[in-house]
Amino acid sequence: MNRTRIALALVAAVASLGANPAIARAADYHHVHITASSPSEGVRWYNRHLDCEPVADRPDAANCAGVELIFVVQPTMGSTQGTGVNHIGFSYPDLAAKMAELESVGVRGSGVRLQRFPDGATLRDVPGLFKLGFIFDPWGTRIEMVEDPDTLGFHHIHLSASDPAATLAWYQDVFGGESASLKGQLAGLRFDDVWLLVSEHGEGTPATTQGRAIDHIGFEVADLDAAAPGMRGSGVEFEQEPATPENGRTSAKRAFLVGPDNVRLAVVETGWAGVAVERVAEAVTTDAEPYTVPQTPWGEPDMQGVWTGNSAHSIPLERPLDADDVDALTPEEAEARRERGTLGSIWGYEREWRDTTLGYVKTAPSTQVAMVIDPPDGRIPPLTAEAQARADAARGRFGGGRRLAEGPEDLSLFVRCITRGVPGLMMPSIYNNGLQIVQGPGFVAIQKEMIHETRVIPTEPRPALGSNLQSWLGDSHGRWEGDTLVVETTKFNGRAPYRGSGENLTLVERYTRLGPTTLEYQFTMNDPTVWTRPWTGMFRFDKDDDQYELVEYACHEGNYGMTNILSGARSVEREQAEGR
Amino acid sequence: MTTRPNGLPMVVGALCVGLLLAPGMAVAQNADIARDWDGHPDLNGVWQAIGTANWDIQDHPASAGPVDTGAIGSIPPGQGVVVGNEIPYRPEALAQKQQNFENRWTDDPEIKCFMPGVPRATYMPYPFRIIQGDKKIMMIYGFAEANRTVHMDKENPEPAPIDTWMGRSHGEWDGDTLVIDAAGFNGQSWFDRAGNYASYNLHVTERYTPMGPNAILYEATIEDDTVFTEPWTIRLPLYRRLEENAQVLEYKCVEFSEDLIYGHLRKEPTR
Repeated sequence: MNRTRIALALVAAVASLGANPAIARAADYHHVHITASSPSEGVRWYNRHLDCEPVADRPDAANCAGVELIFVVQPTMGSTQGTGVNHIGFSYPDLAAKMAELESVGVRGSGVRLQRFPDGATLRDVPGLFKLGFIFDPWGTRIEMVEDPDTLGFHHIHLSASDPAATLAWYQDVFGGESASLKGQLAGLRFDDVWLLVSEHGEGTPATTQGRAIDHIGFEVADLDAAAPGMRGSGVEFEQEPATPENGRTSAKRAFLVGPDNVRLAVVETGWAGVAVERVAEAVTTDAEPYTVPQTPWGEPDMQGVWTGNSAHSIPLERPLDADDVDALTPEEAEARRERGTLGSIWGYEREWRDTTLGYVKTAPSTQVAMVIDPPDGRIPPLTAEAQARADAARGRFGGGRRLAEGPEDLSLFVRCITRGVPGLMMPSIYNNGLQIVQGPGFVAIQKEMIHETRVIPTEPRPALGSNLQSWLGDSHGRWEGDTLVVETTKFNGRAPYRGSGENLTLVERYTRLGPTTLEYQFTMNDPTVWTRPWTGMFRFDKDDDQYELVEYACHEGNYGMTNILSGARSVEREQAEGR
Repeated sequence: MTTRPNGLPMVVGALCVGLLLAPGMAVAQNADIARDWDGHPDLNGVWQAIGTANWDIQDHPASAGPVDTGAIGSIPPGQGVVVGNEIPYRPEALAQKQQNFENRWTDDPEIKCFMPGVPRATYMPYPFRIIQGDKKIMMIYGFAEANRTVHMDKENPEPAPIDTWMGRSHGEWDGDTLVIDAAGFNGQSWFDRAGNYASYNLHVTERYTPMGPNAILYEATIEDDTVFTEPWTIRLPLYRRLEENAQVLEYKCVEFSEDLIYGHLRKEPTR
């Protein structure tokens, strides 16, 4: 048959933009298809850590020694584990050096997660085979790192099969490939010099790869229409018949089928260059059509519903110093920024933690350059002389080095599940960005999902609290100015500062519906004991009643993290005391 | 009835006497209650239970408190809120209740600043606010940041997607009574400081019926086959807080529970 190529589609699951996973395009070799949440970040990661090369004019593809990784934006159902594709493999001439390099990267941000062996080592030498170790990309793809001088770079795809011999036979029958034995130890197929290896699946049937970190594997043939009858003759039933997909970058055709062990496969023909992804526009109403804010039955502007701050996540508070002349990011830049922000906040969490990768997030990331809109330069104004002196003294006090927590008080209010403060609790973050607004006559309840905090805002005058009744979230008084809800909050206890604010903060927030699905949120920080002038930030919430419901974020009730941090600290102290 | 100078109507006289006659508490023919835009009772406001149900939902005598703070720390006597006073525990569940009681000074979710669950949130000794909108009703309790969203806009109530402390609540109007079907609980809540409890099979049917402008008759039917032999009911009035400045204050209690929960893990252990 025609020389086939494995297209390794590393689909690191990214937020769904509604496109079908693209099959890898033709390279000189086989290609593998992978799913990821931000294609450009996927390319960046594999370029930086595994020496894959970006592909010109294709922001979603990387070339790894002839095998392409194509990053497809779609909702993810989880990592590769438990599916029929256990992992992919890369080979390096000096694995010890490579693993040391990856270990030094750390898991923080777009980092590298290492799977350690029981003795704590990151690699081991398997006699007769080679040195090997395992890492994960930030999107849940398991990657074996090996030291095989015979094949460097992209090394293998490792399947997990109920009947390995039958699976190998099937792949050889349908796609060709040369029967071979890896170092005389492992039966497999070679497609050019890339291996297809199979191990026996532990229990039950492997889960489908569809929607998982490796969504599917792509093989390449010269002419799909010519190859298809032969495949059908081998018993293949195409899930999607050969065709040029909508938005295909070339006229090359693609077909989908399901191989043994629920492994999804694509076959593409030479010239395949993936599918161009259409982006969802930011949901902002234009000025051209004035929007009439709906009213509650009792005649107040209606803001009720479930909103999320997902599109605003990763907008920096202040304008970056190198973005003086930038009006807005491009959609690609915005997407990459959100991905970096997300990865930067969770360092080492499984990707299933992230609403963006789970595909819950329907809105495109905001292209807003910074939250601060006043002062116009986008920078928080200078501190007062007294505040600057306090800040300098504080810096001196906490000079360098992490210290073991002696008790809960040494950890942040957020880690303690006490509060994120205001306006801190309004700020978008990596997950649980839900904001539910319920109104009754004269009251607006604003409930934030993250660590579950609810603010009750009266919109008619009510007696102020006594000056000694301070609280974490302060005393809020609201009023309607036209269709805008204006909330003024004072009497903070000063223990949950935002950017250094203190108990003298007067926070003024303005909530305005700009459109059916857009709620603009402005916050003005005025604390004359901290800043030389007030400043204002802005971002938008997106309405998402259809699919989003706030979950009960029982933060303190489930704060195993606190127990683990403290018991870990005590354990380290014991080890230090014993001189270990 | 009369109207007080502050404009809030108040029910007086024979009706109030009737209210004391639990369990046969009379419910007013509600010509005088506030009504919303749809003609349903308007439950917006700050409400509070009076009594000692949070100590023990059953009848209980005065007793000593956990620490030596004199009479201040003692436990006040009280009449229960369980209709008929008896709770039909299965034998093994009764043993669990008694064990809860023995361990109440460390195991009660309230002492750990955990969300109180339903129906307990209703009769904790603090005010709570009802915000009645046209699609949802929110109940905000203050303590432990507990709150509930009562979905009034779901024609076909879905089961709770996950078990939670406060459960999932669906509401509908039965005449002037707000009926809430609450389930999806995680089985970790207690009914009171005496260790009365249910499992995650708990199903609570609550009825909020105005007794006049300033009181609501609260009834909660408790079903849980794994813990009780038959359904039973809690019944008590909720009173409107009439102070002009009444509001539910922030009651973030986490830091008051940290020594209890983490004291043994401090560098200098406190427990």
